[in-house]
Amino acid sequence: MTGFYLRWAGVIVIVGILALLTSQHYEKHLSSVSPDMVVTGNDSKTTLRVQGMVKSGSLTGNPEDGHAAFELLGASNSLKVQYEGPPPENLRELKTLILIGQWDAENKLFQARETALVTNYGYVASAYIVALLALIAFVFSMSRNVTFLYQEIKESKIYEPELGP
Amino acid sequence: MMNRFIRRIQRFKGWIGAAAALCIFYGLYLGLLDSPPDYYQGEVVRIMYVHVPLAHTALLAYGTLFVGSLWYLWKRDVLVDNMCHAAAGITAAFTILALITGAIWAKPTWNTWWTWDPKLVSFAVLLLIASGYLMLRTFVEDPDKEGRYAAVMAIVGGIDLPIIYFSAEWWRTLHQPLSISMRGVSMSGDILLPLAIMSLGLNLLFIYMLMIRTQMLYLTNLLEAKKGRLLSHAHLSHTSS
Repeated sequence: MTGFYLRWAGVIVIVGILALLTSQHYEKHLSSVSPDMVVTGNDSKTTLRVQGMVKSGSLTGNPEDGHAAFELLGASNSLKVQYEGPPPENLRELKTLILIGQWDAENKLFQARETALVTNYGYVASAYIVALLALIAFVFSMSRNVTFLYQEIKESKIYEPELGP
Repeated sequence: MMNRFIRRIQRFKGWIGAAAALCIFYGLYLGLLDSPPDYYQGEVVRIMYVHVPLAHTALLAYGTLFVGSLWYLWKRDVLVDNMCHAAAGITAAFTILALITGAIWAKPTWNTWWTWDPKLVSFAVLLLIASGYLMLRTFVEDPDKEGRYAAVMAIVGGIDLPIIYFSAEWWRTLHQPLSISMRGVSMSGDILLPLAIMSLGLNLLFIYMLMIRTQMLYLTNLLEAKKGRLLSHAHLSHTSS
């Protein structure tokens, strides 16, 4: 049984490492910050993903051509945004979205070059966790049963010659 | 023939399990990290890479049960009956998981966990058929009758398979139509590759699970039979003395 549990411990460790790497990847590349955090920062080199709502009445320019200016609302601050990039389909007033770009601390302006939809990580993570954990548990319990059955057959005297009285 | 095939394929159990694990890990990498988000659904589309393969594998599992049941009624092979029993449990597991992941995907895309859509309802019926099959096997005492009745039930329940598969074509439904059909493939390579790898991985996992579960049921039956025989010997020796 020790070999069996060691094998499964290996599987659990590998799955754990992969889960950790995946969550780190999402944290690094796909997590977003609020406009409040951008306004208070001075970092103008890093590419940021900012999530907020387009302020009603602030949208000017021509989003169909990929040029627009607007304000992005956070919890307590708003962020002035200059958008220059591919024509965004989801850029309209009162729409919550993610902007990808850089913060110009000198001019207090966020220069966005791309938009993205708000990510529902909770749904994606829960679907994968439910499916994978259930499958792992199912295979583990079946393999354990088979190992136990072999052991029971081996340890009991069932395989001894069944001679009559 | 089927018996020999099952025994032969059992030798490759470890390799099949390892291949399944590799395909699933690679499919997870492609689906979660490498493939692009969908234009309309965004990142939520990644649920597809686990939901669709689970649903396909549930259909494969029931297909195996259906073919195995036909074979059992023809040849009365006990090992094939064990395999059918094993396939039914696995069908139920994959169907439940496909329904759960489908509900999780439906909430952000359709804004509801469940809708009385033909595809969803016919898939839920598959779960009822698999559960009914498993219940029937626990109710009947005589092993020969148990195998026969269960096989008939599995064959009758097989009518649900084409209904599930073609429901999106036959009726007006919220569920998207077939992406891979005789008309061609209506998805890009970026999406098709992780989907194909995950499907292959889960299909291999199904074969691996089928082998373990068949073995488990076979050993359980063997143990019960041996114990029963020993008990009857003990009873005989007790009564003769």
